[in-house]
Amino acid sequence: MENKKIEILLIEDNLKDAELTIRALRKSNMNNHLIHLKNGAEALEFLFGTGKYEGRNISNKPTVILLDLKMPKVDGFEVMIQIKVNESTKSIPVVVLTSSKESSDIERAYLLGANSYIVKPVEFDEYMNVVTDLGLYWLLKNQPPVYINKQKP
Amino acid sequence: MDDKEKSAELLMANKKLALLNSQNEKRTAQLLIANKELAFQNKEKEKRAAELLIANEELAFQNKEKEKRAAELLIANKELAFQNKEKEKRAAELLIANKELAFQNKEKEKRAVELFDSHKEVDELEIRVKERTVDLESFSYSVSHDLRSPLRAINGYANMLEEDYGNSLDDEGKRLLAEVKGSAKKMGALIDDLLEFSRLGRKGLAKSRLDMNKLVDTVLIEIKKSTAHKAEITLRKLLPAVADYNLMQHVITNLVSNAIKYSSKKEKPLIEIKSERKNGAIVYSIRDNGVGFDMRYAHKLFGVFQRLHSDEEFSGTGVGLAIVQRIIHNHDGKVWAESKEGQGSIFYFSLPDLTVK
Repeated sequence: MENKKIEILLIEDNLKDAELTIRALRKSNMNNHLIHLKNGAEALEFLFGTGKYEGRNISNKPTVILLDLKMPKVDGFEVMIQIKVNESTKSIPVVVLTSSKESSDIERAYLLGANSYIVKPVEFDEYMNVVTDLGLYWLLKNQPPVYINKQKP
Repeated sequence: MDDKEKSAELLMANKKLALLNSQNEKRTAQLLIANKELAFQNKEKEKRAAELLIANEELAFQNKEKEKRAAELLIANKELAFQNKEKEKRAAELLIANKELAFQNKEKEKRAVELFDSHKEVDELEIRVKERTVDLESFSYSVSHDLRSPLRAINGYANMLEEDYGNSLDDEGKRLLAEVKGSAKKMGALIDDLLEFSRLGRKGLAKSRLDMNKLVDTVLIEIKKSTAHKAEITLRKLLPAVADYNLMQHVITNLVSNAIKYSSKKEKPLIEIKSERKNGAIVYSIRDNGVGFDMRYAHKLFGVFQRLHSDEEFSGTGVGLAIVQRIIHNHDGKVWAESKEGQGSIFYFSLPDLTVK
């Protein structure tokens, strides 16, 4: 897990939704190099190499983050804020993948810097298609951010 | 006696006489003077009498004047008395008017208090409405998120079961699974429609003058994209409406979709859309030659979750017409329908004619 390039970081507390998402990505062979974390706190520890991820090579940044909004304790918005505020993580594309269609949530997500906002479809086929499209787009079509190493003296 | 004594006596008598005469002459002179005096006094008396006469006439004249004046004073008194009566009347009226004013002031105070109370009531009602709206918003948020999540799971796992183990299932197993999937799909549609229904209550109206023919054309194209149908739709020249574009689009979509759905089993489904001006309102109608409904239950048509046909005959959530009714009512219009079972239905909705200034 530490050395292979992480492609997708899935932050999702609902294990059923996570199973659907991973299944869809597996169908199009994009579930390799996928990390699924079940809550916001753990996701932040992972991204910044703290807590139980102390010592992780944090320059190994995911190509895209799929972020659920409604999670207990540390919710998606808080995670988003931390990601988009920190120099080391702000370039990582964050795709909000949530069941909420509320305009207030959409507005807030974009204001906080979301790169995309996807509402989880209720229909199975649609769900599969959307996630497959997401994977194809962000992993294959989209140019990922570049991190130029600046040697600090 | 002798003549001397007689002469002395005569002399004496003559002297006496002479004295008497001179006394008489004096007396006469006096009398003359007295007469003159009397005459003078008489003259004076006459003057005085004349003066008195004049004075009397003067007095009489003045008396007449006094009587006139007395008469005038009498009239004046009567007048005064009359005016006093009037004043008293007026004073009495003023008293009544004052009482009236005092009473009205009390009423005004009452009304002011009532207004204040009703303002407080209105404020409290506003607060409660706001609270209800917040309740409703969190309710529909809950519906939106919390209900959809397990629904997605039901759909997801049913499909995964089918994908991964479909081959191990016999026909009955496949049928059972199909029922699960079908019900989950239905529930999704219900949740969507319910959410739409509750959202409508909160949305404000953005009214504008609408070209209804254009609107209906747009709707027909959209419907054609999502549902293949063989209905022949006749769109007459429609009167323009003053309404919210999006909401009207929703209404037309629902009514036309229904018309198509319920006439889909006919050989030649025919639908006619037209409008007319009636009693200060514009009435739009959508007629179909479909299966119709039992007019005895017409009052249930627009209720939430109310259906007049079974899901087997025609699928539907029973919320569509409730949404249409809510939209039209929000526009101060009316919705109603007529039908003959087996022959078709006409759905009407009216909008107040705001196009006429």
